[in-house]
Amino acid sequence: MRVPAISRLRGYRQLGVSARLSIGASILLALVLVVALVSLSLGPVDIPISHVAWIVLSSLGFDLPEFGRTEQLVIEQIRLPRIIVGASVGVALGVAGAAMQGLFRNPMADPGIIGVSAGGALGAVIAIASGMAGLFLLALPLFAFVGAMAAALLVYGIAVVGGHFSMATLLLAGVAVNAFLGAIVSAIIILLPDNEALREILFWLAGGLDARSWEHVRIAGPLILVSAALILLMSRDLNLLMLGDDEARSMGVRVGATRIALLATASLATGAAVAVSGTIAFVGLVVPHTLRLMLGPDNRILIPMSALGGAVFVIVADTVARMIIQPAEFRVGILTAFVGAPFFILLLIKNKRQVYSL
Amino acid sequence: MLRARRRMVGLIGVFLALSVGLVLVGCSSDAPPEDQQAQFTVTSQSASEQAQDQPQAEPQTEQTEQDQPQAEQSTDAEAAAEAQSDDQQQAVQEQSSEQESDAAEPQMSQQDETQQDDAQPAEEQQTAAAADESEPSIEQSLAGVRGIVDPTNTGWPREVEGFNGVFSIPAKPMRIITASIGHDEIVLALVPQERLIAVGAVSKDATFSNIADLVLDKAEVSRDPETIIVQSPDIVVTSPYYPVEGIDALRRAGILVIQTELELDPQSHINNVKLIGYILGEEERAIAFADEVQSRFQTVLDATADKSDRPNVISLTQYGDSLWTAGSGSTQGSLIEAAGGVNAAATAGIEGNQTIGLEAVIVMAPDVIIIPQPAAYGAEEFRQSLFDNAALAEIPAIGSGSVYVVDSKLFTTLSHWNVRGAEQLARILWPDDFPDPPAESFSLVE
Repeated sequence: MRVPAISRLRGYRQLGVSARLSIGASILLALVLVVALVSLSLGPVDIPISHVAWIVLSSLGFDLPEFGRTEQLVIEQIRLPRIIVGASVGVALGVAGAAMQGLFRNPMADPGIIGVSAGGALGAVIAIASGMAGLFLLALPLFAFVGAMAAALLVYGIAVVGGHFSMATLLLAGVAVNAFLGAIVSAIIILLPDNEALREILFWLAGGLDARSWEHVRIAGPLILVSAALILLMSRDLNLLMLGDDEARSMGVRVGATRIALLATASLATGAAVAVSGTIAFVGLVVPHTLRLMLGPDNRILIPMSALGGAVFVIVADTVARMIIQPAEFRVGILTAFVGAPFFILLLIKNKRQVYSL
Repeated sequence: MLRARRRMVGLIGVFLALSVGLVLVGCSSDAPPEDQQAQFTVTSQSASEQAQDQPQAEPQTEQTEQDQPQAEQSTDAEAAAEAQSDDQQQAVQEQSSEQESDAAEPQMSQQDETQQDDAQPAEEQQTAAAADESEPSIEQSLAGVRGIVDPTNTGWPREVEGFNGVFSIPAKPMRIITASIGHDEIVLALVPQERLIAVGAVSKDATFSNIADLVLDKAEVSRDPETIIVQSPDIVVTSPYYPVEGIDALRRAGILVIQTELELDPQSHINNVKLIGYILGEEERAIAFADEVQSRFQTVLDATADKSDRPNVISLTQYGDSLWTAGSGSTQGSLIEAAGGVNAAATAGIEGNQTIGLEAVIVMAPDVIIIPQPAAYGAEEFRQSLFDNAALAEIPAIGSGSVYVVDSKLFTTLSHWNVRGAEQLARILWPDDFPDPPAESFSLVE
């Protein structure tokens, strides 16, 4: 499947940044709202889409007639927080993926490359295996977040040993730390005598958004929004960094500080996402990469588009996961890998030239 | 939506087909054809088995054992097993002979039994004959039990057909290991306790095991075959879920391993009780015990058979963030039906144990919710969270307060103890019909 949009969008690429951003953001934002509305209307409890719209408007403060209490509660307490968490996770992974790919000048880079996902997984596994996860709702996401941040710091710390930061060292340290943390997770799983905890771990590792509440929105939402906004603010500098350190420096970019700031904010966004969703595969890789093929490599466009594209991707994937075997549920992380991997492979095969030119 | 679902299923199907194709191509380059076929067969069996029912809170030993192919062992494996069987028989025979001479309980060969029969006074024989007229003989009771090759053969050697092939048992096994909690529970009901020489850790864990207090002092075995070999068992009678590599290692060590079924409904345990009793040379006790279990189960069935106003019941547990329910073909589901309820999850189309969302609970609108989840895993907290969730307020079970934390090990084990689960649930659903609590336990060998 060739990306037909690439040739058709040549005219689009010739527009100014503001125009491209406005058009693209408008389209994707509308798409986010549409898929969110459709997702809100789908579920085991049959709620017409018109009711959904009224209920959402009603909860936003509009004075509208009330619908059935169950319908209202299902929308407000079950579906809406889940969709918002899903959208936030998509935003985080999309933005972090775009930033990482730009930072490493490598379209294969994803947020997990610096150990954030593995660190989050280890934090969550420790919370579950130690029984902390059962004590209070926020224990698991907090452990996962701390794990993600600790792993990112460790990788970064290795990369700056000796006072000199090296991207190559960072990448290799990421590989090593990922392997090391993965081994610890495997060791815990193998040695864990507790079958229920084992199952909980495996489910968490598969990534999912079931039973997300407003608490999860409150945990991850602000962190993701702030970090996404910061990355967006640094998108111009990221463009210059992609030209090379010397060029960026000559254009007034503080290369070292910008790179660290980008790494830190991308790690923060990914850590927050992993904390509330587990490890959802391929979003941070597929979404920015696909959008780059369609819209070009300008990070001022690509990063906000990746945010919105990530939100659309995760909302759609989670909706399918909810519906595909209903009333039972599928794990969204498995679904994103199932769909994302073959799609990504097809994309790579059909668009080799564009990939190599990036 | 239906079209979208079909498209999605089609896409996943194509992906899986591609994956299988890649695996086959990969195999063709580095393995001989026979090995490739065996490898492929095992892989596909494991996947299909895992896709089947996952007992929800099944103790670790049995649940992790589901990785292993079950009934359809390859022909090669069976042939290899048969080829080994002569050696094994000899080894087991030798072991058994030595142990029989030392055993506290004297063993009796078929010939000895015949001689003793001849020596019986005529009066006793007449009494026995009279009893025979009123009660079925052992042979009659064993007829139709799946896995017993010749029910008329109550001597040694005797043959049984397990999941892993047909085996000849040369003599009454005295040192028994099962490495399966369900089998441990059954074996302990059939033989003197000392004959079960070691158990898995989960059998000692009162959270999951119904016999924990009886086996605390026993040696412990794990999935590592070495831990079993070092105990020198005469036989390992285990579940179909025990890893095939482990079975192979035990066979190579000369230990007879027979895998027998672990069905998901109480009625099917009767067959397993009789088969295991026959394997262990305790067919008389097994028949009596099967009658005891059947009788208790029948009491529940009889009391609920004519109920027309059966409540909708769901089994609901929460592990981590995931909600689990039990549909058709699950242990909990079969217990709900046996206790006179309608399994609303099965009605909704759920098969086996699946994760669901809270919305699905609303749609199922259960009259009763049971929570077969250990207290240590937050069962009470989960129960309370159901009442605290405003979105669930209109569910009949929530409105009437009919949400019950039940003894999880009765609902998740795979043994006759499931009957206790049926009894417990029947008392919840039909308190007027079951005013008195049933016996807490089952009989043991004196």
